Parts: sequence; C-alpha cells; structure tokens
Amino acid sequence: MLDYILIQAANGLVIGVMFALIATGLTIIFSILKIVNFAHGEIYMMGGYFGYYVITLLGVPPFPAVLVAMAITFLFSIGLERGLLTPLYSPRIERKADYGILITFGLSVFLRNIAIILFGPFPLRPPSFIEGSLAVFGGLMISYDRLVAAGGGLLLLVALIWFLNRTVWGQALNAVSQSRESASIVGINSERMYMLAFGVGGALAGGAGALIAPIYSLSPSMGLVPDTQAFVIVILGGLGSVSGTIIAALLLGISQNLFIALLPDPSRGPSYANAFGLFIMMLVLLFRPTGIFGRHAVAMD
Amino acid sequence: MMNGTPPLIEAIGLAKHFGGIFAVDHLDFEVHAGELVGLIGPNGSGKTTTINLLTGHLRIDGGGVRVRGQPVAGLPASGFAGLGVGRTFQITQLFSRMSVLENMLVPGLARPHAHKTHVTREARRHLEFLGLAALESLAAKNLSGGQQKLLELGRALMLNPALLFLDEPFAGVNPYLRDEIIRFVQTLHEEGRTFVIVDHDLDAIQRLVHRLVVMSRGKKIADGPLASVRENQDVIKAYSGT
Repeated sequence: MLDYILIQAANGLVIGVMFALIATGLTIIFSILKIVNFAHGEIYMMGGYFGYYVITLLGVPPFPAVLVAMAITFLFSIGLERGLLTPLYSPRIERKADYGILITFGLSVFLRNIAIILFGPFPLRPPSFIEGSLAVFGGLMISYDRLVAAGGGLLLLVALIWFLNRTVWGQALNAVSQSRESASIVGINSERMYMLAFGVGGALAGGAGALIAPIYSLSPSMGLVPDTQAFVIVILGGLGSVSGTIIAALLLGISQNLFIALLPDPSRGPSYANAFGLFIMMLVLLFRPTGIFGRHAVAMD
Repeated sequence: MMNGTPPLIEAIGLAKHFGGIFAVDHLDFEVHAGELVGLIGPNGSGKTTTINLLTGHLRIDGGGVRVRGQPVAGLPASGFAGLGVGRTFQITQLFSRMSVLENMLVPGLARPHAHKTHVTREARRHLEFLGLAALESLAAKNLSGGQQKLLELGRALMLNPALLFLDEPFAGVNPYLRDEIIRFVQTLHEEGRTFVIVDHDLDAIQRLVHRLVVMSRGKKIADGPLASVRENQDVIKAYSGT
C-alpha cells in the first residue's frame, strides 16, 4: 500500500510540474497584461501538436522538438497578442477586463475547433522520449517519459526563475507588473513587455504540451482540464506570484493524485480529481482570500 | 533664449479634449534649456494634462510637440525618457514592492549598454544627495509620503534628464522637506538641468522659479517673469473665480 501511495505521489509530482509550467505562464500574463487568458489551455494544446508535427513531419528528434515547439508557440502567442490584444492598450476600449475575457474566451473556442479541423478529432501520440519504464518501489513502475517530463519541466522552471530575477528583461517585466506608468517614464516600452509576457507565457504552456504528449496523447480538447486547474493554482498561489504558483502547482498535483489513490474505488478517482482541486480552492479562499502565499512573498508579483 | 537654438520642448497649438470639454485648448508653450519654469493655475486648468501630453502619457488630439526642434508626435512615454525628458507624478508612482535602491536601478539598467556596478554607484550618489542613502534596502512602499516623492525624483535623475517635469512636488510634504526639495531643485538647476514645476504652493514656486506660466480652463493666460505675472489682472481674476 505504501509503495502504491509513493508512486501516486511521484505521478502527482510529474503532473504538478506540468501544472506549474502552464500556471506560471498564466500568472505572468495576468500580472503584466492584467487579463485572464482563457485560451491558455488551447495554447498548451497547440504546443503539443507543434511538437508532434515537428517530430513526424520534419524528423526532429523528440528532445530538441520540445524546444522547437516552444519557439513556435512563442511566436504563435506573440502573433495572437499583436492581432487580438493590442486594442487593450488603446484608450478606445474602456472595459479592458471585459474585453480580455471575451476575446480570449472566443479564441479558446476558435483554437479548439480549428484544431479538430486541422489535426482531426482522434488522439495522436508522438514517439516516446525514452522507451520503457524504471522499476521503483518494489515492482511498481514509472515510465521514463514521465521522468523526462518532470525533469524537463523543472529545468524550464529554473530557467524561468533565472530569467525573471537575473536578466534585464525579467526586471523590466517585474517593473511593468508593479507600475506601468513608472516603467514607461523610466524608458521601458510597456507594449514590448506585453508581447514578451504573452510570448513567454505561451512558450511555457507549449513546452508543457510537448513534454506531456507522449504520456497522455494529444487531442483538441486536452487543454480544458489543465486550464481549469491552472486557474485554481494561480488563485491558490496568490494572483501574479510566480514562486507561489509553482509551489501551489506541486502541492495540487501531489495532493490530487493522493486523493485519487486513497479513494475507496480508485477507478472512479480521476473523474473526481478536478472537483477535488476546486474544493481545495474554495477552502483556501474561505480562510485566506489572498491565496496561500498572498501577494507579498514573491519576486515576480 | 539664444537665437538659433530650438527650445528644449515646445507645444504648438496643443489640444486635448475629454468628451466635449477641452482640457488643453490650443496651447503654445516652450521651454528653453536652463530655464526654471513654474506652471500654475486653478484646479482643472489643464496643468497635469499638459505634462501628460508633453511626456507621451496621453494621446494628442491636436497640435504638436517638438523636443529640441524635432517633432515627436505619437512617441510613447518610454521614448520621451530616451530623449532626456523626465517627470514625477502628482500621486507618486513607484515600484512599491522593490527596495529603494532597486527602484533607482530599474531606469539605469533599462538604458542600453548599462553596467550594473557603474549604475549602482550612480544610484547611491543620488540617494546620498537626496538623504535617502540609509534607507536603500527598505521597500519603497514603507517610505513616508515625502520620502516617496524624493525617491521618485531620484529615480527620474537616473535617466540623466535634460528636462524634468515635477507635478506637485510640494503637495502634502512638511515644511522642512519642502525647503529640502527647493534646495535640491536649485542645486540640480545650477548643475544645468531644466525644470518645469507644477504646484499650488505659490510661496515655494515664487522662491524657485524665474518664469511663471499661468493656465486657466485649458488656455495659457499669462507667461513671463514673476513680477509681471503677479500683477496680471487675468491671473487675479482666474484665481479669485470672478
């Protein structure tokens, strides 16, 4: 029984890292552009498909394909930001939050449906990063693909934290997130930072999609569940906080998998996983309305 | 001032309307290098809007702005910073969760080819000048209102601006700090920086500036040396509301 719980916790950690990649992107976009990107799950889905086609059509090996998929998602996201979100920055639109919700919600429906047309409704699975599984905990197995996804995801998160805290670009993003007016008077072009934030957020989601594709397969609707989870995580982590988001993602990933594992009928577990996350969110919001980590304990608020 | 040298900044027929009301009504206004100008007027006369238009914070509805003779229509606020035009805000706008020193470093590091050691040394020199050196590791949000105003001035200095717009630097500061700010502005002016100061504190303004521009209902109603503006009947009328 203990082995089983341990392996579920390990699986939860893998999922948690993927959640963290998706949710940090969402939180960066929120803190810079001040909009909730409802199409974030679909950008994650597109990243997965980009990775798939880079491997199957261009013959790129699976590992570099993740980076190529991220680069394509980065450019794709910037294209979306330039095409759809620039009206947000002009004084012509007064209700910016409403505009942001409507346009990204519409975009998510559009991308999901265009994916059905372009990629087909059936699940696609790219080749494994590494075939096989590692035997751990007395006979229980964990696939190499899961280990690659977790390792790759952690590397990306470390790179992100370095980028935000140690580079001029990261500091400029931090400055814009705290005060757009101040950032502009000290010479930071806010519009360029909006592009960068949307691009980086998209690339992280795209990376998650490409890393997870060999484990769960790709489908046009694959973004729906992680998207809901990402919203839960972003709120738990304290809106706009990157480190809070990462910790909340890992906690949610692990606790959700343990919840599934400990349910009397584990086969029903996955159906309740989403509800479990939302239940945790309700509890946290009741007792700590600013999220677990509030808004003050972070580098990149 | 000098013939042949274009003004540092120039507004030509500058206009901005909100709904049907002209906040700035075809304003002509120029500032030459080395000047220390006071811009005054009753509430709602368009002073802050003028600053916002002259620093790229608002879109111009009519007329134009030139910096050193070059038209700068459509330039974003960040572009003005690059041209050496700095500003402070009526309500201070700091990076509140950053430390005092970090607030100073952001404009320095945003400059091309910035070197961190050099920028940090420069920031500390300015903090020393403004009397904020002991507070450098404190979060900006924990400073008093007056200290925040000083920090905002210091942050603007990090751009090494030729021209600084100060929007109500004396509002809500105690008399001691008010004298300090006057002294800082005087020193910086002697070092060669040009200032435009908007404030309601006429006493402080009179101690500082050489030239006074008065606005009322979006229009310029007086512009000249202190003494002549003080006796201008239009100005007295605008202030007494008759």
